[in-house]
Amino acid sequence: MSLAFSVAWLWRSSTVRLALILAVIFALGMAVAVFTALTVGGSVFERRTDATLQAMASSADLQGSRGDGFGLILREAGDLQDLPRAFDRVADRGGGTITLDRDFRNSESWRVFVGPDARGAAVLVAVPLDDGEEALELLSGVLWTTVAVVIALSLLIGLVAGVLGRRRLRRINQTLSALAAGDLSARTGIAATSDDLSEMAGQVDIAAAELEQLVAQTRHLSASLAHDLRTPLARLRSRLEVLPEGEERGAALEEVEHLSSVFDTIMRVARIEAAQGTDGFEAVALGPFAQELHEIFGAVVEDAGKTLALDVSQPAEVLADRQMLVQMVANLIQNAIRHGGANITLKVGGAAIGVCDDGPGVDPADYAQIVKPMVRLDAARHTEGTGLGLSLVRAVATRHRADLHLSPCQPQGLSVMVKFADL
Amino acid sequence: MRILLLEDDAQLGAWITSGLREEGHVVDHFANGKDALIAAMGQDYDVLVLDRMVPGLDGLAVLKSLRASKNATPALFLTALGEVDARIEGFEAGGDDYLTKPFAFVELSARVAALGRRGDGVSAEPEKQTLLQHGDLSLDLLARTCKRQGQEIDLMAKEFKLLEYLMRRPGRLVTRTMLLEQVWDMSFDPTTSVVETHISRLRAKIDKPFETALIRTRRGEGYVFGF
Repeated sequence: MSLAFSVAWLWRSSTVRLALILAVIFALGMAVAVFTALTVGGSVFERRTDATLQAMASSADLQGSRGDGFGLILREAGDLQDLPRAFDRVADRGGGTITLDRDFRNSESWRVFVGPDARGAAVLVAVPLDDGEEALELLSGVLWTTVAVVIALSLLIGLVAGVLGRRRLRRINQTLSALAAGDLSARTGIAATSDDLSEMAGQVDIAAAELEQLVAQTRHLSASLAHDLRTPLARLRSRLEVLPEGEERGAALEEVEHLSSVFDTIMRVARIEAAQGTDGFEAVALGPFAQELHEIFGAVVEDAGKTLALDVSQPAEVLADRQMLVQMVANLIQNAIRHGGANITLKVGGAAIGVCDDGPGVDPADYAQIVKPMVRLDAARHTEGTGLGLSLVRAVATRHRADLHLSPCQPQGLSVMVKFADL
Repeated sequence: MRILLLEDDAQLGAWITSGLREEGHVVDHFANGKDALIAAMGQDYDVLVLDRMVPGLDGLAVLKSLRASKNATPALFLTALGEVDARIEGFEAGGDDYLTKPFAFVELSARVAALGRRGDGVSAEPEKQTLLQHGDLSLDLLARTCKRQGQEIDLMAKEFKLLEYLMRRPGRLVTRTMLLEQVWDMSFDPTTSVVETHISRLRAKIDKPFETALIRTRRGEGYVFGF
């Protein structure tokens, strides 16, 4: 498994995503908490310090001397010459916090207070702030570490949950793909225990079993239907064939032929729809293929008083059941002869093949309708046909996982193109 | 030829049997798979004609058993199922050809004859003749020319192939299905009038300008070539 793949998978895993989102929310919350703690904590600390400093100032009695000691600075407000200049400026403002460029008496940061002493003279009291700052730094350090640990933990939990669910998810995905590809015996095989993924897998299995049974029933039904109808037709045909030749016999045989041809078409659509896999598929070069179809059906179109043009551009090779492809194009041409105008075009563009006519066309709102079995739009009721043409085209397209694309032709008419995957 | 027929429908069985016998074949007709299998194991046949669906042991099972015991007799399936199933299942079971019901007798007869030739080891194509002649019509397969009463007739490729197929079977009924398969390589009815169109074009060229017509239509059945 490549790294790119695993990263992509991590991002696709919903558990990991959820853990990530939670971690981000938690980090934001913690950031707000740390910021609040630092600002509020800082100002509380300052107020306390100032109160202490004020008390020290008011109880001092310097009388020209200096009271420095124990890390403190305590002296009259005019006696600041040996201190960094920053002390002067802060003293003028009545006090505050100083941050120096370099250490002064082992400390960069000082809290300064200026107030009256016991005799009313202005004195300056300053204490180094490093201890308090260190406490705050320690606090924020603890908070940030907690954030990092919590994020790492939640990601880890998400990852573990994702990996645990992943095998089952992949199994469910594989099963669904297999079902879609026509392997109706595919099952997840995951026991439906209490958790949601297993339950879902169980439901997939139940649905698949029902689907398999339905399809089997349909197959059985169409097989027995075929048998029950074709056998008497064969019997009828055998009786007619032994009759003496004549008009009546010919007409009767024609009827049998028509009946079995309609039946064949219906069965063919059902069979193509039920068939799966790529058995019998071969590489078909659309260029020569269209040429051949043009030769076969050109004469038929001409006899119907119309013309069949060939428009091939950049023909591709596609993987297809050749006979089905011929059936499909034959149906498209048949439809165009019945419902289209005088000029029919057999078109190939890349991996797409189809037919375009210059007839009245079809309202785009009806496109979804006309590909359904047996549907014939009202306007087509007066023309002959079984209404099975486009449903066969759709069945063949679906069988090949090709796109069936209906669109208006310019300036008028209907274009039906079937786009295959490039080989 | 000696032919084994497995067909449970009495009416169809009798029709096929009498038709094949009329053509000079020896036919053993069985209505169930077990009897047919025993018979086929016991003696040599030239061709097996097996109904795909009979009660009990069906045609498919019979042929599978025979193929398992190294019996290579050519077999034709008669099937009431659709062409897709017939094509796949029949060939998987070792069948050589299939015919979908309902069918014209001539189609069965043509296929049985073709399978019989294959079993003989003789070339299935006795069609080495390169000049076909019928009355005043001649078709030269090498020069790709067609003449009637000395007049050269210009034929399109498919028309040429169609005429060749007809001329090789003078006086015999040829169905649309046979023409679609042999001339156009289509194992299905495209529901367009491909055959009719080409027959009528061919007629316009080789029959219309002359006194006697060579291609006759047998309504509901097909075409017959020849006087």
